[in-house]
Amino acid sequence: MTPETPLVIEKLTFRYRDRKTPAIRDISFSAGPGEILLIAGASGCGKTTLIRCINGLIPRSYKGEASGRILLNGQETVGWALAKISQTVGTVLQDPERQILGTKVLHEVAFGLENLAMPRPEIIARVDESLNYLNISYLRDRETFNLSGGEKQKVALAGVLAMRPSILLLDEPLASLDPASAYETLDMVRRLADEGMTVLMIEHRVEDVLRIRPERVMFMSEGQVKYLGSLEGLEKVVDYHEVKLPAKAILERAARDPAPAELNVLPGVSSQDSPQSALVKFENVAFSYQPETEVLHGINLEIKRGDVIAVLGPNGAGKTTFVKHAIGLLKPKSGNVLVNGRNTREASVAQIASTLGYVFQSPSHMLFAPTVREELAFGPKNLLHPKDQIEKEVKEALQIVNLSEMEKDPPLALSFGQQKRVSIAAILAMHSRILVMDEPTAGQDYHNYMSFMDAILQLPGFEAILFITHDVDLAVIYANRVLMVADGTIVADGSPREVLGDVQRLEKCRLVPTSLLSLNLERWPRTGRFLRAEALAHIH
Amino acid sequence: MLVSWRYRQRKSLIQWFDPRAWIIFYGCFLVTSLLSWDVRFLLPVVAISVIVLLTSGLKWHEIRRAFLFIIGFIFIFTFLTFLTGRGGSEVYKQEHLIRAFKAPFSILGWTPTLKITAERAIFAVAQFGRVFGIGIMTLLIPYSLNPSFYGVTFRGIGLPDKIAYAMDLTMRFIPTFGRDFQLTMDAQRARGYELEKISGGLFAQVRKLGPIFVPVTIHAILGSEDIIDAMDLRAFGIGPRTWLEHLRYQPRDFLLIAFGVVMLVAGFVLVFRGYGVLWVPAALLHLAGG
Repeated sequence: MTPETPLVIEKLTFRYRDRKTPAIRDISFSAGPGEILLIAGASGCGKTTLIRCINGLIPRSYKGEASGRILLNGQETVGWALAKISQTVGTVLQDPERQILGTKVLHEVAFGLENLAMPRPEIIARVDESLNYLNISYLRDRETFNLSGGEKQKVALAGVLAMRPSILLLDEPLASLDPASAYETLDMVRRLADEGMTVLMIEHRVEDVLRIRPERVMFMSEGQVKYLGSLEGLEKVVDYHEVKLPAKAILERAARDPAPAELNVLPGVSSQDSPQSALVKFENVAFSYQPETEVLHGINLEIKRGDVIAVLGPNGAGKTTFVKHAIGLLKPKSGNVLVNGRNTREASVAQIASTLGYVFQSPSHMLFAPTVREELAFGPKNLLHPKDQIEKEVKEALQIVNLSEMEKDPPLALSFGQQKRVSIAAILAMHSRILVMDEPTAGQDYHNYMSFMDAILQLPGFEAILFITHDVDLAVIYANRVLMVADGTIVADGSPREVLGDVQRLEKCRLVPTSLLSLNLERWPRTGRFLRAEALAHIH
Repeated sequence: MLVSWRYRQRKSLIQWFDPRAWIIFYGCFLVTSLLSWDVRFLLPVVAISVIVLLTSGLKWHEIRRAFLFIIGFIFIFTFLTFLTGRGGSEVYKQEHLIRAFKAPFSILGWTPTLKITAERAIFAVAQFGRVFGIGIMTLLIPYSLNPSFYGVTFRGIGLPDKIAYAMDLTMRFIPTFGRDFQLTMDAQRARGYELEKISGGLFAQVRKLGPIFVPVTIHAILGSEDIIDAMDLRAFGIGPRTWLEHLRYQPRDFLLIAFGVVMLVAGFVLVFRGYGVLWVPAALLHLAGG
């Protein structure tokens, strides 16, 4: 290894102070200039710990026991101040919301430079250079609070780039982005690497990242590196149930395995049931937070028994505002929302909750109980379910989200992915007739979210399910109806084939056709329905 | 991310001045308000706050909730003090009874009695005026001070970099806390939780607030850790920093500061001349037969 290699890690092991086992063990690798190293692996496999070791947050902010060496440009970082490391290593966190400090874009991008006590003219020049580089100069004087998810991510990146690091660490940068924003971010990352920057990117959305051809891929499991090498090698060594690979790669490998079991979607709803009465009805609904800006306009919609609806659309389209009306958290400024025939203006949220369960995007806003079991029992208790029934509901919900072994653990001590599953289980335990989920898969690894989506769809209690997602494949695999929301209106409502088959409309709504969608469209004459890649592999 | 207050650039007296000058003036106003219980002394103080409010350019719908909350809080607070007579017991020694209302029942030989005295009545007026003036002037700051200038303003009045930036973050933490509180309320209501139906004794009621306060508190702590990480990762606190915004005093700002200082000095002079204590108008004493 030459001393110029930007990043060298030698036998790195770290154990958090309050844990018994190391979070990462015996990790060694190096990354060269101009290289993109994609780091993949299940939630809790040690990816974020590795990033924290490199950027210096470990051991400075997160205490524990460390061994091994980290060398930046040939120099060991032990004893370096975080400020010194931050001039070489730039970090963009998973959620830009957590990283942005400035009230205006200009101040946000300038923050690091101000801290380095640079003269004002130089700060301004570097801010402008950074914004120009990312093609977001038009955002310079905007308030950060009013930016879309994609814009926030770019601004966070600009703030890091302004400090001119030679190594860039990206911790799930695509997690909260719509597909078009994710691709724009990825293209920028490729450009940075092509100009000599070393990039380490943690990402669950492996298929999306493959588009920019990362030089190498590292696959981690249980704190260790299980694979480090080329993309082609990854597709051969990892389990396609664990990492989301391109549909064609899955197709080849799944053909050798037994065909997956057919999903029995919403088994409580018989195909002979009359679909006449709507469970939820939106009648010409309009809504605005501020009098001058309408967020939703003219929403007309019925959710019927048997519907599995995917709501797609760009960041800031009004998707969450729309579903908050269904549970009565927001009341329309004009028009009506009827749940089970009852106007939401005349019912409390608690009353609606027994019919419609709503899983919020962020689990940390709802978890409070000392144990997972008590957390799950909270909703059913509020709805005055009998004690015996609550026991059963809690147990069943725990099994679905694969957390039975953690029922006595405090939910707040779990990882983000596990907390998300607890938040879903907490609503499942309420046994509502309709389930609404806002971004159920965000921040989850592929294996986990596919397992619980399979389980949820096959629960007998639900009559309809609606989920908001940026993941087109989730709509392809699970939905029987797709709603496309843009600029506060429903621009398309129909079967997945009708809505997702219109590529132009997809692109207008900042969505991008995936390899699975393309494969399904291609094979439609033979299948007559959308299927997951594993199932497609067995249809000839 | 920290949320900002609903600031807008308006044509207003308060925004005509440099924010540092306004904060210094506000400090002088605050101390002056706290110097005296004399209604004659407090009257101009209240008048200043009303003038600033009326020239603030704020629309009623913008401040309605906050304004009504503050007024309601001050009113209840003052009324309770008036009923119990406890708040002013250190301010006045002697009371002149205007009228007493005796309850038509006794508890273990004690008959609850509401005494209206001249001192209690004027103390209630003074207390309302003082807290009203301070409340209004404080309420106007977040609506009128540009959030981008928080840090540089506090730095500009002499606080060290770290404390100035901490003040900036603290100012923005309050609306952020409000947003998180609302999100948690919504999430728990969606689980059938109804805050308005909480019952039981005091401790049981506090315990039942756990589903709201635990997530809000934990979120605030985790949010703070994220903020600290984000700051550390961009070299915050390594030494003196540059503040991108550069504030420049205008002659009017010096006038405002001078006015604030004169007001403060005049306040002290008046207090030394005996205007710091509770003043009871002769008419009230006359009503009490004194």
